[in-house]
Amino acid sequence: MFAKFEQAVLTGIQSQKQRKFILIGTVVGLILSIMMIPTELVLAKMLPGKNNDTFNIYVKLPQGSSIEQTTSVTNCVASIVQKEKEVTDLEVFLGMGSPLDFAGLIKGSQFKNSENVAELVVNLTKKHEREEPSYMMVQRLRPVVVKSCEPIVKNSDISFVEPPAGPPTLAAIVAEIYGKDADGIRVLAQKVETIFKKTQGLVDIDTMEDTIYDTFDIKVNPEKAARSGVSIKQINDIMYLAFEGMDIAVKNSPKYNDQIPVFLSLSNDSKRFTTKDLDAVQAKLSSLKLMNKFGMMVPVTELVSIQPTKSHPIIMSKDLHEMTNVMAETDMVSQVYPLIDARAQILKELANDYEITKTGLFDLEFKDKKSGNIYELKWDGEMKVTLDTFRDLGGAFIAALILIFLLMVVYYKSYTLSGIILVGSFLSIIGVILGHWVMDIFTTDTFFLTATSLIGFIALIGISSRNSLLLIDFTKSLMHDKGMHKAEAIAYATATRAKPIFLTATAIILASTLLAGDAVFGGLGVSLIFGTIAAVIASLIVVPILLYNADLERHFHFHEKQAVSITDPL
Amino acid sequence: MKHKPYVPKDVAGKLAKTFIQNPLTMVLGIFLLALGYISLEVMPREENPQMVVSGSTVIVALPGATAAEVERVIVKPLERKLKEVKGVEHIYGTAMDNVGIVNAAFFIGENKEDSNLKVYDKIMQNSNMFPKGAMNPIIKPLDIDVDIPIVSVAFFSNDKNMSETDLYDNVKTMQHYINGLPNVAVTDLKGGHKHQFNIEVDINKLAGYNLSLGQITQAVQSLSYNVPNIKNRTKDNEIVIFGVKNAIQTIEDIDNIIVADYFGSPIYLKQVATVTDGYNYQNFQSAQISIQSDHSFSKLQNQVTLTISKLQGTNAVIIADAVKEELSKYKDMLAKNGINYVITRNDGERANDAVNELVFHLILSIIIIAILLIFVLGWRESLIVTFTVPAILAITLFVAYLSGQTINRITLFAFLLSLGLLVDAAIIVIENIHRHYHSVDSAHKDKDELMIEATDEIGAPTNIATLAIIMTMIPMAFVGQMMGQFMKPIPANVPVALVASLFVAYIFTPYLAVRILKRPKHNEEHK
Repeated sequence: MFAKFEQAVLTGIQSQKQRKFILIGTVVGLILSIMMIPTELVLAKMLPGKNNDTFNIYVKLPQGSSIEQTTSVTNCVASIVQKEKEVTDLEVFLGMGSPLDFAGLIKGSQFKNSENVAELVVNLTKKHEREEPSYMMVQRLRPVVVKSCEPIVKNSDISFVEPPAGPPTLAAIVAEIYGKDADGIRVLAQKVETIFKKTQGLVDIDTMEDTIYDTFDIKVNPEKAARSGVSIKQINDIMYLAFEGMDIAVKNSPKYNDQIPVFLSLSNDSKRFTTKDLDAVQAKLSSLKLMNKFGMMVPVTELVSIQPTKSHPIIMSKDLHEMTNVMAETDMVSQVYPLIDARAQILKELANDYEITKTGLFDLEFKDKKSGNIYELKWDGEMKVTLDTFRDLGGAFIAALILIFLLMVVYYKSYTLSGIILVGSFLSIIGVILGHWVMDIFTTDTFFLTATSLIGFIALIGISSRNSLLLIDFTKSLMHDKGMHKAEAIAYATATRAKPIFLTATAIILASTLLAGDAVFGGLGVSLIFGTIAAVIASLIVVPILLYNADLERHFHFHEKQAVSITDPL
Repeated sequence: MKHKPYVPKDVAGKLAKTFIQNPLTMVLGIFLLALGYISLEVMPREENPQMVVSGSTVIVALPGATAAEVERVIVKPLERKLKEVKGVEHIYGTAMDNVGIVNAAFFIGENKEDSNLKVYDKIMQNSNMFPKGAMNPIIKPLDIDVDIPIVSVAFFSNDKNMSETDLYDNVKTMQHYINGLPNVAVTDLKGGHKHQFNIEVDINKLAGYNLSLGQITQAVQSLSYNVPNIKNRTKDNEIVIFGVKNAIQTIEDIDNIIVADYFGSPIYLKQVATVTDGYNYQNFQSAQISIQSDHSFSKLQNQVTLTISKLQGTNAVIIADAVKEELSKYKDMLAKNGINYVITRNDGERANDAVNELVFHLILSIIIIAILLIFVLGWRESLIVTFTVPAILAITLFVAYLSGQTINRITLFAFLLSLGLLVDAAIIVIENIHRHYHSVDSAHKDKDELMIEATDEIGAPTNIATLAIIMTMIPMAFVGQMMGQFMKPIPANVPVALVASLFVAYIFTPYLAVRILKRPKHNEEHK
């Protein structure tokens, strides 16, 4: 076995035809595997979904909806969740956020305090005892819940929030729309939202914007108020007391943990408006009277005029620029590809109304053709984190390559040898990408190239450079101490080093098989397994050929040619 | 031929030579393993690594202003001021009717206390910038440790007659007990309703008696007043204490308040309003729960959730267990009052499960590698390599403990990642020893010397190769943002493990090899 391999290497590296064949094959392999990323054969994502024991459902009704309306929607959601066998318990938090978690912290769950919101916490059985991963369950439940519960109240949004595998973000895709005028932003945001809704793979689409609803302004007639000796404060107080109610006194209690407030308000029957229109408001207010300075009872309507108007939506800004977010989650797919699709669609569909120019990598600038106003669209959320992470890791990768190269130059004092080691270690990328492609074929859901895959790849450079390094070092000592000829020394060293190289490679592969099963670190495991295989092949086949092609005597700084082999024609 | 002792050229050989016959080597080995085990037990466990996220939210209320007005007079000036603070990455402003909210998010990794102080300082220095009528600004710093509860418990009542407020009040009592446990930071209640006396006025009756709501308010307020006791002395210098009591003690007291005089006859409050001893129904927030047992869900019923968060750097596992134990102490008492509870979140248990699962994976990997080595190198060699792994991990764990890290998913993944790398050094050494041991050339050499020589031979390239792997990890420490923070345990621990692997390989491998390996007899020619 040993001798056979040594012989194979020996003849292999000496035959020009075989050398050429292997080198060209390697280059083709490298190009083909790298091409798998732009051709979307291997898909990239920051982190894949994680199998959790819990997930949340956020319910958001349009602004101005009542808690009763919200309850009707949560009841619907609950009734669907209650059909699930793997759910242990279900909590509904009406009008507020659920106990805070990582995802909620970023999504602003702690600030929820209005009648139109609710959160549901769904706890599942332990993940080991459950066949269906939580992300599959969410994917299955989402369309059912959305279809039957969202129509109960128009414009409701129901979104599923899973604990993130990595750092939490606002949403998978966030389109920030900047501009100078609120109305223009609103119009553009709605257009983007419509496009998102049509984009395949995007779910839970929501614009962070208040719906504008009908309200009433009560204007006090100053003259009448002054004549009857009533102040605006008095009018406001009386109306607040009547319809919202107020604590007017407290009583300390020895029994309870809190003070007991005395709360005054109109009774439920007498305070409700019959309908939501001006007449009903007018009618109710006319029966509400207040006492003026002279002890006379004056109906509120005598002093005021009521006008229907619209609510003031909240105004949001980021870094001092007014903006609105359009958010979307991805349904088991990477956020990169729907984003590219949506962006292409925006460029196509909005070209009629806006002059669109591309800025940055994916960002867009809009110029309204009618008004000439300028708006900007910037991508944020998980997408931005992904880009930043991949950029940083790419930088870390290049830095690692340079550091290794410098280290090798210091050690060998030769650029060629250092170059060979670098090339040898870079080839493990073939294994990394092919490995993901193979895993994608064999797994039911998409197997993504993730940030952890990149970490694995970076670690691999070190591992495979170690293989090449041990090989070169042994060749050197064989040539130096034993006086072997280049080809023989390379072949003997390759054959001798093959055993520890295989051993350490197997150790890495075995240690990584357990990693490969994990949702988040699967990429790392797969990178290490397939990358190591590629690295072994590279260091046992490609590196010897590269070594043979190099003038080793010179690079090892031998002063004279060491020995002449019988097989060498020289 | 006179024997000349082998002089090691590399650190590897030197270390091997120093330790190979040293009686303390064994002690050192046991000591390292003990340190590692203690670290594993003592280190706080978490599911995800701690992230330093700093930020503050400033809330300023300006009653009666519309969103656009709030934006101009509160949000914009506030944003400009916060822009001056160093270390702020993003500023988010929200203007709505009556209130403006500005959130300053610091760069990931900025010191929490410093950041909070900077924002507080900036607002206080410029407190005169707020418009007239604005209320005092509320500054709420973000604190992940304290804000995110690690345990949540839902309490609910099976007793239909139990009032909402009794449940709440009972849970509030429990809250105090739980808050008393060590290292518990914040406890909070969600859902439930407080006790309240409700006066619901009928608008028609009000009109009938020609009364206004203001009169009722005044009448109630005049009778409800809490004052401290009055102290006086007798002639003999004895102290006599007497006090005016709040006239409202029961709902009957409220019922019988005289709100007005109607043609000479008094009008009692009960004539125009219904007074009830109830709960704060104006609070629209509530919480419900439904539990599955025997394949059927209970109906959604009201509940009160108690959330518990821990202090920074404390062990979630221990706190969660303590909470569980404390709860079970009161289980009977609660049951007597008709209250049940269910733990709806237990991050301590989750962290412990995650850590234990990964430790199990780690052990499994070590066993698999050991089996592989038995087949390739023989069981004695395999035994040696297998011993080095826990020693290396022990050193790494101890260093991680000293540097204030926690045991979390990512730390353990860093270990799993380094596992494949750290057996390398030992394998390379043992393989070289094995090769020398079995080669005919060295049959005459002394055992110890052979070990040292074999170790020394591969020392230089192994050092450089390990350094190369460490080099690849270092740039990862400079990855920014959340992801960089999240992955920090990898660049922090893998290099430590690798360096440890070198030392362990050079010190313990030859030491054990001398004692465990059997030398072959070179009677026949060995290949």
